[in-house]
Amino acid sequence: MAMGVILAVVRYGAGIASVANINNAYPWGWWVGYGIMTMIALGGVGFTITGLAEVLGVRRYHSLLRPAVLMGLLCYAGAIIMLMVELGRPWMVWMILVSWAPTAALYEVGWCAFLYLNVLVFEFATVPLEQLGWGRLLGIMRVIYMPLMLLGVTLSHLHQSSLGTLMTLIPHKINVLWWSDLLPLLFLFSAIMAGPAMAILEYLAAARWLGFEPRMDMIASLARIEAWLVGLFVVFQIGDLVYRGAVDAMLGGTWFALSFWIEIGLGLLVPLVLLMMPEVRRSRGGLAVACSLIVAGVLLHRLNVAVVGLRVRHWETYFPSFGEVGITLGITAGAMFVFGILARILPIHEELAHTQASPRRAAAPTGALHGVPGLS
Amino acid sequence: MTAPAVKPKAMIQDNTRCIGCRACMIACKAWNNRPADHTDFFAGPGYQNPRDRDANNYTLTTFNEIVTGAKPDWVFGRQLCMHCEHPACASACPTTALRKTELGPVVFNKDRCIGCRACMQACPFLIPKYDYENRAPLIHKCTFCADRVEAGLKPACATVCPTSAISFGDRDDMVAEAKRRIAAAPGTYIPYIYGLDEVGGTNVLHLSSVPFEQIGYVTGLPKTPMPDLTHRWLRVTPHFFGLLYVVFAALTWITHRRWRKQEDGHQGKTA
Repeated sequence: MAMGVILAVVRYGAGIASVANINNAYPWGWWVGYGIMTMIALGGVGFTITGLAEVLGVRRYHSLLRPAVLMGLLCYAGAIIMLMVELGRPWMVWMILVSWAPTAALYEVGWCAFLYLNVLVFEFATVPLEQLGWGRLLGIMRVIYMPLMLLGVTLSHLHQSSLGTLMTLIPHKINVLWWSDLLPLLFLFSAIMAGPAMAILEYLAAARWLGFEPRMDMIASLARIEAWLVGLFVVFQIGDLVYRGAVDAMLGGTWFALSFWIEIGLGLLVPLVLLMMPEVRRSRGGLAVACSLIVAGVLLHRLNVAVVGLRVRHWETYFPSFGEVGITLGITAGAMFVFGILARILPIHEELAHTQASPRRAAAPTGALHGVPGLS
Repeated sequence: MTAPAVKPKAMIQDNTRCIGCRACMIACKAWNNRPADHTDFFAGPGYQNPRDRDANNYTLTTFNEIVTGAKPDWVFGRQLCMHCEHPACASACPTTALRKTELGPVVFNKDRCIGCRACMQACPFLIPKYDYENRAPLIHKCTFCADRVEAGLKPACATVCPTSAISFGDRDDMVAEAKRRIAAAPGTYIPYIYGLDEVGGTNVLHLSSVPFEQIGYVTGLPKTPMPDLTHRWLRVTPHFFGLLYVVFAALTWITHRRWRKQEDGHQGKTA
């Protein structure tokens, strides 16, 4: 976290070139691939679990709602902080809101993500307000909760897909393995797929470090849904490739093909097989491995589309610098740290409700959460 | 009397007439106030310098060693913004900092730029460049000397070319002129006007004696405007917004009503 702050100070003091390897040929790189695209995809946990618990009305998952909203909030906040570092002129960012450009995908992403961040803040704000006992304000918020919740779920569908629309503009730069007409739908689907994986990982981590007994039946049933989502996504992605006639590129011995198979194999096929086994769905370790792989797979998909799969001209290359990775790790660590603190001082997990009267200090320090892959 | 309709302008870059003097590069720097760079020759083709366009070099004469007949020869090319009729950069810009003007130039408004670099990512010709070293960096690209063109002048590069390799005029006239040159000297030109319908047509037209891929041009581009790729999705987005909201609201209403019924049922039993 401290490292991220120091690097960010250098970036503002001496310009982007002082810390980053992004260049004229690769203007986005790791910051956009990980810091924005992946962060927002993983923040999809907020709308996925909200949609599952509130819209589809699966009550069993209600206890996952607050952690999911908080994770979503922190991922989006992280993406906004990343944006402030990544933009060349961050002090001009309000221009998106006043200088209308409805034909630009990024404009749509900007507006939707901005509005959705406000919805997330609203949804989560009920938790501290309950603690403070501001009854009247809470009453008003309960009345407008439903339309705003629905707005949040709808906005998420729009901007998760628009991030894909953004990349459909450059078929000549993205390798055939990843450029597709259907990128908007692929992005939306994979963000939905990341949701349950993130929720399960968080639940298991919280059970371990906050010390409550996880309800394995609930988690196992969510894992079943997740297995279906992963399976459908495999069919969708491979089907799209076959339909576009990219099978040759898939089977070729290139670095692109290698990265593709790591994405599909480790990120989709292995977790799919794992989640199809009932023993794995009932085991904490098995679920943690499978869900971590799914989250890593979504990360790799975004990186493949936005960074790895891009080739411009043969002499121009890009590899993320220490400064670029350092700042993103700082933001990720910061988000986890805030989550760790809030999970201890606010009633986010229903399982802890009975112990809330006498808050029990967990043995592990907050920093322990940092070790969990994919909890970003 | 009605005002005459604005006729879009265009430029012909006739590479068969180019002698590689780089006067266009100098004139461009002078008009656009770009500083001189200290450059070195690189392990590349001939006397070309610098290697690529950047924030200080909006245009570049490329030196290509091509074997035509018995001995290798230099074939020159020039890189500058194509000023597309349907610019991908402007369609990607979330703040309309980039805009196509009626006269043809695609112009950059620095007061709206937030520095997202979506234009750089979007441009099929790799034109917009960034000054990453700057604390308040800006997008840099050929302006078609929009200020000069609006005042009825030619772009700076077109005024200095000693061999008339750069011509400037109404686009209709320039297209006719390019076709005339190819028809008049079929041995000199390849029968192709680069920019006539690349990505839906551009306001810079290039002519050459050898195929364009041999002199470093981006080839194989679609003949349809690039922004179409995103617009077909973005066009339906507002409709989806309404549709999804209604569908989700209906779903929520159904599921929540079922809950209430279940709750009532439970209470009925226990009571």
